[in-house]
Amino acid sequence: MTETFEEMLEELREIIRKLEDGDTSLEESIAIYERGALLVKRCEDLLTTAEMKLTELGRDR
Amino acid sequence: MMPGSHATSPERFGSPILRVSEVSGLICDLLDDARLHQIWLRGEVTNYRNHNSGHRYFSLSEQSGGRIAVINCVMWRTTASALTFTPKDGMDVLAWGSVEVYEPHGRYQFIVREMIPAGPGERFLMVERWKRDLEAEGLFEPGRKRPLPVFPRRIGVVTSSSGAALKDILSVISRRYPVEVIVSPTAVQGDGAHTEIAEAIRRIDGLVDVIIVGRGGGSFEDLFPFNHPEVVRAVAACRTPVISAVGHEVDTTLCDFAADLRAPTPSAAAERAVPERQEVLRELRGYEERIRSLVQQRLERAQSDVDDLRERMHPRRLARRVHERMQRLAEHQERLERAALARLQRERSVLTELSTRLEAQNPLAVLDRGYCIIESDGRIARSARDLQAGEHVALRMKDGRANAVVEDITYDRDL
Repeated sequence: MTETFEEMLEELREIIRKLEDGDTSLEESIAIYERGALLVKRCEDLLTTAEMKLTELGRDR
Repeated sequence: MMPGSHATSPERFGSPILRVSEVSGLICDLLDDARLHQIWLRGEVTNYRNHNSGHRYFSLSEQSGGRIAVINCVMWRTTASALTFTPKDGMDVLAWGSVEVYEPHGRYQFIVREMIPAGPGERFLMVERWKRDLEAEGLFEPGRKRPLPVFPRRIGVVTSSSGAALKDILSVISRRYPVEVIVSPTAVQGDGAHTEIAEAIRRIDGLVDVIIVGRGGGSFEDLFPFNHPEVVRAVAACRTPVISAVGHEVDTTLCDFAADLRAPTPSAAAERAVPERQEVLRELRGYEERIRSLVQQRLERAQSDVDDLRERMHPRRLARRVHERMQRLAEHQERLERAALARLQRERSVLTELSTRLEAQNPLAVLDRGYCIIESDGRIARSARDLQAGEHVALRMKDGRANAVVEDITYDRDL
């Protein structure tokens, strides 16, 4: 998964926009809906599995 | 004898006589000097009196090399109410104001418009000067402010690794939206802290998506390094967006002005740095709900389109067209039959006519008139020469046959 969370959200919003646009064909509607559902799942996974990671920089560099 | 006639200065007899108001006016003019107006005056507070009227009367004095100098001061009620500390005798202060003459009392005094304790006061003035200079350099321009990333992956924190600020930031981030946090540790107060802070900022710049620079609350002195131009410039030079969170809500440092966002506290900075996971999840669920319902609507629309088409293809419509065709077919059939019948009748009448004509030509018709046909061996005998005497022949007549025997034959002469 190379996309960032932000990119995925952006794509999701684009999908909604397309779905709202009545001109999108039924086939495409269903295809992009499936993509949208997958994106939601990925985003949720990302959010729910995230844990804080802490590192400290060395002072000299 | 006039009093004073024994005086030693004879010149005095040639001097003009001035009136009090004239001399007082001269003094006013002399003291109306730019060097005595709108100045900071530093001294030790003595004889401080808080008058019933609200006005403050005191002196500022200075003692050095066994000499003492004193200037009487007054601070009017309206400006005194803005004092941020309670002046006391013995305090070293900085007073901002102008020297003015009070003619009714024959006094000059320093009218104080603003007063601050001298130690921090000097640093305060220094900060004001830095602020003016850095502002002139354009480091505080609103146009320089960059938006923070909505979903950062790494947060940099420039602060003391043992301070409460770091604990607060880590606790808020781990609760809200756990991401990678990289700490760039530094001293946050004391001599040389500003250099260390600036270095810590430069070290982490570019390694993270957003930087929080800050420390917990403290005195003006404690927060002082965050006013230093070295820190301000380091913040302004960052490629990475910076949130400044120095001290508490009321504290403001120059670092705040240069940062892309000023947060009132380190905890608040952490809240601004990362989104709230639950909110994002709610937003996501909203999206999911939305696309689901949109596809549902789309399907319903498609269904209704199909229904509509089916309705338009309904049997009634089809039946009507079939009936139409059938009717036309029936019409054709009828025309066909009529035509066939007419033809038939025509043929029949032709046939009748032909048959009548045929009948008229019937060779057997002569039999009706009493003629008969002689057949010999099944052949019609047309000539006497076809017959021989003694031959059995058949006489075919109108209504039957008779067998006969030829007795003799006579031939006509001319044949």
